[in-house]
Amino acid sequence: MQPAPIERLVAAFSRLPGVGPRTAQRLTYHVLSRPDEDARALATALIEVKELIGECRICFNLAEGERCVICEDPRRDPTLLCVVETPADVLPVERTHEYRGRYHVLGGALSPVDGVGPRDLRLEELYRRVLEGDPDDPARGSGPLVDDGTTSSGGPTVTEVVVATNPTTSGEATALHIGAELRERSPQVRVSRLASGLPVGADLEHADEVTLGRAFAGRRTI
Amino acid sequence: MAAVDRGAATRPGGHGLHLGRLRVRDVRTYVEADVELGPGLTVVAGPNGAGKTNLLEAAYLACTGRSFRQASDADLVRRGAEAGNASATVVTRSGPSVFSVGVDPQAPRGRRLRVDGTPVETLLDHPSRPRMSVFLPDRMVLVKGGPALRRAHLDQLLAVLRPSSSPVRRAFHEALRQRNALLGSLKARGVGVERAGQELQPWDATLAAAAAGLTTARRETAEAIRPAVNVRAAQLGLAGELEISYRPRASEDPEEVVAALAERHAGDLERGFTHHGPHRDDLAVRRDGRLITRFGSQGEQRLSLLALLLGEADVMEEATGSRPVLLLDDVMSELDADRRARLVGLIRERGQALVTVTEAGHVPGAGDEGVGLVDVVPGSAVVARVAAGAPADAPPADEDAA
Ligand SMILES: Nc1ncnc2c1ncn2[C@@H]1O[C@H](COP(=O)(O)OP(=O)(O)OP(=O)(O)O)[C@@H](O)[C@H]1O
Ligand SMILES: [Mg+2]
Ligand SMILES: [Zn+2]
Repeated sequence: MQPAPIERLVAAFSRLPGVGPRTAQRLTYHVLSRPDEDARALATALIEVKELIGECRICFNLAEGERCVICEDPRRDPTLLCVVETPADVLPVERTHEYRGRYHVLGGALSPVDGVGPRDLRLEELYRRVLEGDPDDPARGSGPLVDDGTTSSGGPTVTEVVVATNPTTSGEATALHIGAELRERSPQVRVSRLASGLPVGADLEHADEVTLGRAFAGRRTI
Repeated sequence: MAAVDRGAATRPGGHGLHLGRLRVRDVRTYVEADVELGPGLTVVAGPNGAGKTNLLEAAYLACTGRSFRQASDADLVRRGAEAGNASATVVTRSGPSVFSVGVDPQAPRGRRLRVDGTPVETLLDHPSRPRMSVFLPDRMVLVKGGPALRRAHLDQLLAVLRPSSSPVRRAFHEALRQRNALLGSLKARGVGVERAGQELQPWDATLAAAAAGLTTARRETAEAIRPAVNVRAAQLGLAGELEISYRPRASEDPEEVVAALAERHAGDLERGFTHHGPHRDDLAVRRDGRLITRFGSQGEQRLSLLALLLGEADVMEEATGSRPVLLLDDVMSELDADRRARLVGLIRERGQALVTVTEAGHVPGAGDEGVGLVDVVPGSAVVARVAAGAPADAPPADEDAA
């Protein structure tokens, strides 16, 4: 038996993905062996990340404030949307430097086994964005186009949606679902799926930049 | 002497891998066993309950980390012992390699698997692992029983012969699980067929793509083994043509599968699961057009299963360059003297085999040079008298009939 505070930290570390009990033990001893400031800095960083980081109001990516850095960037093409499952899937796409549009983070993928249906994902929000375009960013100074008091004053409308859900069974089904819905609701919009330069069953998050870049170049219409 | 025989003699143990030394400690009946296996046939003899099957099981355990008869850790460890171990020296083209499996029912992290002393997560995908092909009396359900086991068997074969089809097989099972879960929830929510159809549509398409791919892979695998199994059946003296045929439920065209699934939406919703697809396939084994499952005698069913295993071993050897080690438990019973001699002749031709019998005399040629003999003495718990050497040229099968 170890003192309770040690047990608590070991338990907390073991809950992290990829950390087993042995690593948790090692991390705990490491924290103990370091100066107090290090522990305080770590604790502050942990608390701050939860307090300061929220969801982007537009795309549901992680954001500090109302909008994420991508939605705030005027150079990003608002007529092009890339749909991903989680915020973690944005980074690998960004690293390819192939993509200049905005994102839409679904918050998961369809998975009846886990009770995840269409209503549990940000799908309605996606369809609305495609139909109406993103609301303008007041901070950018251009102001609302039509001053009727609503925020959804409509920016430029979306012309293409790239569905970059993971090439897993769930991700594929989600892509097909989105494809069918958009064909019905916004038939003029081009919907494409990342070409599978990706190995089947692989997660976007773990794909290397070259394959992902190739996948982007070779995306196909669904 | 036929060219095949000479070939086999110059390549003891076939082309590839075989087991050398097998060491067992505190597994099943054994306090300790230490057996040097030859590259050809080894006869494991002893009275009922002596521990013959246990020895085969230990060999399988050492090379796969699993038991071939759903056994828990507590079942495997010798009564009265705390932990057991089975290890096998595997002879590969690049030298020997030691596979070892530690079993301790108390251990929280399961069986301890090692290759050459290095812990590994699984032995199953280790490149030096010898494949094992097992005949157990209770595996007769493969020819006697329902289609589920034959499907599973075909898929195991698929994994060996067409490893590239593994993702499609996994994707199919995953899509099926998801679609069935969706059907269950739609049914529980009382959603109407039309509305349900919309929600099912992406899963129909996902399932269909995988189903069509799996059907193709299974058909090609069944076609690949058919000729070899047919040849082996004739050599084993099974009268009439033995024919393996794949009976798929679904089309190999995804569009057609989607249509077939859509047609069944109402029925699927009612019962809450998917009725159409390769999860209902069968592999039919027929002799002269009649299903062996229903019309075969005991001996004929046994010979059919042996023909299947031997034919598959041929195809695996051709595809992977190494022949599976045959573990044949209690295979001689129900076979007449002529069929026994034929079987022994065939397994001595190539590859490694361990064959259990109650009396060594039931294996024609058991005393021959090059045939190993392991006498399992009941109660002693230690294996005695081991004679093994390089396999001699196999005698023509029928000359040896007792
Ligand atoms: N964990 C165990 N500890 C001790 N003995 C065991 C254990 N598990 C099984 N046994 C014993 O092993 C014996 C069976 O051994 P095995 O099945 O290998 O016999 P066999 O030689 O194949 O016999 P048969 O000719 O009847 O097939 C039984 O008596 C059983 O009680
Ligand atoms: Mg037995
Ligand atoms: Zn955003």
